[in-house]
Amino acid sequence: MNTLLAGNPETKTTGTPLPWGRWGLRSVAISYLLVMLVIPLLVILQDGMREGLAELWRQVTLPIAWHALKLTLWTSAVMVVINTIMGTLTAFVLVRYEFPGKTVLNAIIDLPLAIPTLVTGVMLVVLFGPQEAVGAWLKDQFDFSIIFAPSGIIMALLFITFPFVVRSVQPVLLELDRTQENAAATLGAGGWTIFWRIILPPLALPILTGALLSFARAIGEFGSIVIVAGNIPLVSQTAAVYVFGEVESENRLGASAVSIVMVGIAFILMMAANYLRKWSRSGSEKEVE
Amino acid sequence: MLTNLHKKLILPFLVIALLAASCSSGASSQGGEVKLVLAAYTTPREAYRELIPIFQEQWKEKTGQTVVFEESYQASGAQSRAVLEGFEADIVALSLEADVIRLENAGLITHDWRSKPFGGMVSTSVVAFAVRQGNPKNIQDWAELAQPDLQILTPNPKTSGGAMWNILGLYGAAQRGYVEGYSADDAGAQEFLLAVLRNVTVMDKSARDSIVNYEKGIGDVAITYENEVLVGQQAGQTYELVLPTSTMQIDNPIAIVDTYVDKHGTREVADAFLDFLFSAEAQQVFAKYGLRSPDPAVAQATADQYPLIEDLFTIAHFSGWGEATPRYFGENGIFFQILGQVQGIQITE
Repeated sequence: MNTLLAGNPETKTTGTPLPWGRWGLRSVAISYLLVMLVIPLLVILQDGMREGLAELWRQVTLPIAWHALKLTLWTSAVMVVINTIMGTLTAFVLVRYEFPGKTVLNAIIDLPLAIPTLVTGVMLVVLFGPQEAVGAWLKDQFDFSIIFAPSGIIMALLFITFPFVVRSVQPVLLELDRTQENAAATLGAGGWTIFWRIILPPLALPILTGALLSFARAIGEFGSIVIVAGNIPLVSQTAAVYVFGEVESENRLGASAVSIVMVGIAFILMMAANYLRKWSRSGSEKEVE
Repeated sequence: MLTNLHKKLILPFLVIALLAASCSSGASSQGGEVKLVLAAYTTPREAYRELIPIFQEQWKEKTGQTVVFEESYQASGAQSRAVLEGFEADIVALSLEADVIRLENAGLITHDWRSKPFGGMVSTSVVAFAVRQGNPKNIQDWAELAQPDLQILTPNPKTSGGAMWNILGLYGAAQRGYVEGYSADDAGAQEFLLAVLRNVTVMDKSARDSIVNYEKGIGDVAITYENEVLVGQQAGQTYELVLPTSTMQIDNPIAIVDTYVDKHGTREVADAFLDFLFSAEAQQVFAKYGLRSPDPAVAQATADQYPLIEDLFTIAHFSGWGEATPRYFGENGIFFQILGQVQGIQITE
């Protein structure tokens, strides 16, 4: 540490670039982090708190804002449950089974990350809009419009966060030792018992990590939701769309207040996911020993 | 006598002088090129696409100078806010007076823009309905919007100027007694608003988004500007226009942004562009693109295209935007209270 602070005397005498490189590299990385992440977050915090904590809380608990937050959280939660089950299943099928087109399907899984979210929204409207094929049928048969309602939000979120659980589980599944499963089979365990008691436990942490990541990603989603949800306050307006509305109508305090709540939730989720990832890594190291 | 020092300084001095000369000639209006930045709302885009080349030609003939236009089209409120926060627009052409007043209050517009022809309003339109071909739901006037099982599109007033015109048009028509079955006062208007809001299925960010959604086949009726419907029809859309008996006149202001025209040195060109837009020639072009003209002569000439509305009211009925915006669209505004009532939630303090 002393050498960093004092200016490394080695550079002056030997002229080697490495010591300066280390110090320079660290300051570049930290400045970048500060400018790109920390400062904007602090600015939002400051903006939301500028009229005090009471006013911040009042803005967050306004009926329309509060409903938007609740809607965001419950639709994301439902999505996570579906995504966890289907993501684990997809990963399992991709790892353990062979079928034609497997390589292509495996590659497509990452596609939602690359597609602009607006495009996702448009795709869903074209597919499920009340005048289009599937949507019209649903409307006729069940008088049910799948989009322009919370169900549309859940579908958009499922698409957007599709890769998270699958990609979290796949590598762990690939590394699993099959001998334990075989041993269980010879002892008379059926397929479901093997899955539940031998395969699933080591997958628990990756599944949870994937679930947390998809939840955090979902609560902030805007592009697809604004197209597909209907955005009616107190019905289908999510927190992100509400924040946009408040920014546009000069209630930046309200926008910042709700944003702070969302950032806070995302932060907690990220910390939890990070912790879980470290724990699962140290756990697997112990197993190797 | 040139010393060594003088000789060393000549070249840098020449370079700097050259750079300064080239920089300043870019900003001045002495021949060459000048850039004009137009910040507009979404509806008149097609009209400006035709008007701009006409003006460019006229200006070139008159002064030999080429005007390059940089245009931006987005929702009126968003556009106004963008200019407020640093978008260096020379001219703003917006949907609502309030969006121009915002820039006035911030000191970006310092001249009296209302002293221009027609009170600074370059075009007008009216709140009307887009209905499906053949008008299957038989929408004749405001009252039919309250019928059950109807799907209505109208944008969100938080983000869209157009939405505010729509809601005030609805409210005013009811208040003035032109909606059957509702009393001609606040109570009746609010009851009517409640009935209509129950039928709204999608609230888009802007008027343009709303009509685009309607074009995709969503909804039975879209509350929109007459202008949007006409432009869509010109582009081949099959929806029909329904004009209510009583509706709101939408006045679209245009103004030069003093701060930026002075900064860019474009005041002369910007003024000329505005004068051009108020001229009968430009007003006729606006009329081609579905916009009514505040110019009485042009309005008369285009009366076939733009039928007279029986009861046409303006924002004056609501005592101006200064009164109307907080009363209807503020934090506990009437619009949001009624929206809450649709869900049985109370919005007031």
